[in-house]
Amino acid sequence: MENTIAGYFLNFPIFQAIAETLGVGLTAFLIFFAFAGLFTVILATVGGFGTIAERKISADLQARIGPNRVGPYGLFQLIADGIKMISKEDIMPRSADKFLYYLAPFLCIFGVLCTVAVMPFSKNLILSDLNVGVFYAIAISSLVGVGIFLGGYASNSKWSLLGGMRGASQIISYEIPVTLTIMMIVVIAGGLSFNTLVEAQAGMPWNWYIFHNPFTFIGFFVFFISTLAETNRAPFDLPEAESELVSGYHTEYTGIRFGLFALAEYIEIFVVSAVSVSLFLGGYQLPFNILEGTLPNELLQFGSLFLKTCALYYVVIWVRWTFPRLRVDQLMSICWKYLTPIAIFNLVGTAIWVVAFDGQSMFQLFFGSGAH
Amino acid sequence: MVSLQAYLIVSLILLITGLVIMISRKNIVAILLGIELILNSAALNFVAYSKYTTNNLDGHIFSLFIIVIAAAEAAVGLAIVIRFFQIKETIHIDEVSELREEIAR
Amino acid sequence: MFINILFFSASALVIASCALMMWTKNLMHSCVYLLGVLIGVAGLYLTLGADFVAATQIMVYVGGVVILMLFAVMLTGGKDFQSKTQQLLNLLPSMGNKYTFMWGGGVGLVFAGCLTYFFMHLFKVIKVQEIDNNSYSPTIEKLGELLVTDHLVAFELSSVLLLGALVGAAIIARPRKERPAYIDDIEHDHHHDEEHH
Repeated sequence: MENTIAGYFLNFPIFQAIAETLGVGLTAFLIFFAFAGLFTVILATVGGFGTIAERKISADLQARIGPNRVGPYGLFQLIADGIKMISKEDIMPRSADKFLYYLAPFLCIFGVLCTVAVMPFSKNLILSDLNVGVFYAIAISSLVGVGIFLGGYASNSKWSLLGGMRGASQIISYEIPVTLTIMMIVVIAGGLSFNTLVEAQAGMPWNWYIFHNPFTFIGFFVFFISTLAETNRAPFDLPEAESELVSGYHTEYTGIRFGLFALAEYIEIFVVSAVSVSLFLGGYQLPFNILEGTLPNELLQFGSLFLKTCALYYVVIWVRWTFPRLRVDQLMSICWKYLTPIAIFNLVGTAIWVVAFDGQSMFQLFFGSGAH
Repeated sequence: MVSLQAYLIVSLILLITGLVIMISRKNIVAILLGIELILNSAALNFVAYSKYTTNNLDGHIFSLFIIVIAAAEAAVGLAIVIRFFQIKETIHIDEVSELREEIAR
Repeated sequence: MFINILFFSASALVIASCALMMWTKNLMHSCVYLLGVLIGVAGLYLTLGADFVAATQIMVYVGGVVILMLFAVMLTGGKDFQSKTQQLLNLLPSMGNKYTFMWGGGVGLVFAGCLTYFFMHLFKVIKVQEIDNNSYSPTIEKLGELLVTDHLVAFELSSVLLLGALVGAAIIARPRKERPAYIDDIEHDHHHDEEHH
């Protein structure tokens, strides 16, 4: 509990006074609960801004203007979109499976939001520094696949069904390279908790795990491609391929339920980008240590993570509007014939590197031990 | 303070439910669901006993192996079910009688 | 106290999902309730301090087994297949009827009675330790050490088992280009029999 948000707040006198009356456990839980609610709201806003970013960046790439009517530069478009989503009629197909139809969007958003519980946004801004952090994140995010599959099945429409099946098979398949690539980082860091992984990358950018050895450099791109596929982003957006499946697994969804699916997708991209940054690009680490242990330092760390995540987010959107969509068989052959063997090769190579060079990075080998 | 018995009762309920589903349902996939429940109850028992009676983690290892074996069993079992459905176009368990000795009518 | 709340909510989820799994006639719903059971069992593992086992449970079951089950239900049609003839076993619908449930419930009750009767004596022998539920120690390092020392053979064998399951499942479920001749023979025989009747 030392490095979590509850532990951070329990250092302050006012919270210590509350802890004396309520007990430490309950106070920590209440702080956790409050911040979980806050995170949910913030992430919903981030997801909303994701839709705007998508439209503005795509407009920029296609030399258009994009949404510019609501607010300055169209920034309040998300409020307009939200009001539209909520006030739309909630239609359910007559022959749909009612229970599963209602359940599916909530499974999606639940899986995404549960992943955030172990994300380190700064040294202390982390809801729960779980001992099995990365493993938990991979595990709980697979609920999204179940949600997509059930959404496709329950709608009782042929496009939804095809989209749901494609989504589930795609998510199951691409989980393998993602997990193997994360294993590689775990082998170097020697721990599964996110704080262990990020704290090992402290200092200058050459201490980041992407530059640790040649295998992690390849591994970053394997991870990035696989997460694109896991979040159903173009060029892997076959579950919602609008040219063949209308809009895939959420064809029959309207109103706020469709909104939940869309929100889950955009939040998931943000979360997955943040995970990539934490694993490979140094996470919240700053190249310099000013005001260590104080609030401004925490804010700077959060800014560092947020900036890198947004850069990665931009790349994700950029990729979407640049590359054509793949075919289903190409998608599967990329996963099973290329990415998985490369990931296994990376894992073995990294293990050999860690044993042979005693865990030193490339920079430490070339320039001596002065890297830190 | 939760006692060992509480875990064993939950595990017993899981086991009985799995058994009832396996006996009463005639759909092969439903029977596989029942098997998953029974495996889960066994794994839960291993972890509970490892916490309450011994101080080592061997129970955790056993439940990890149970999870691994359940995954392998589900994959092969469902592959067989799908293949069976392609051939016979039914998944009623009583139709799986190809290898049974012919009974004189 | 906190661990008690976690235990009771997790076991309530498990028991309610179990009951619904028995109750429902829809196989797809049954799979979703299985999801509830598995997540509840993962919660019970957490109350026992088994963090790695809980994460593995969610990883393997939710990410793998449940989606496989859903695929299998969809590929085979989770319907209540009507029986073809009106005799004996073929009378039973594939999701069971009240007679099968009565049999299942009876057998379950007898089984539960036997088990509790046998294990009642065992509880007098086993020494249950007094443990502090609030103390928590990470298990990953110890589990890793145990897997490569004491349980090395089982670990390696399980990897071989998984490889065998992977290859076997792929070979079994692979659709063949043409139908094997023996299926035609069987169907021909069936037609032949029916004509006789």
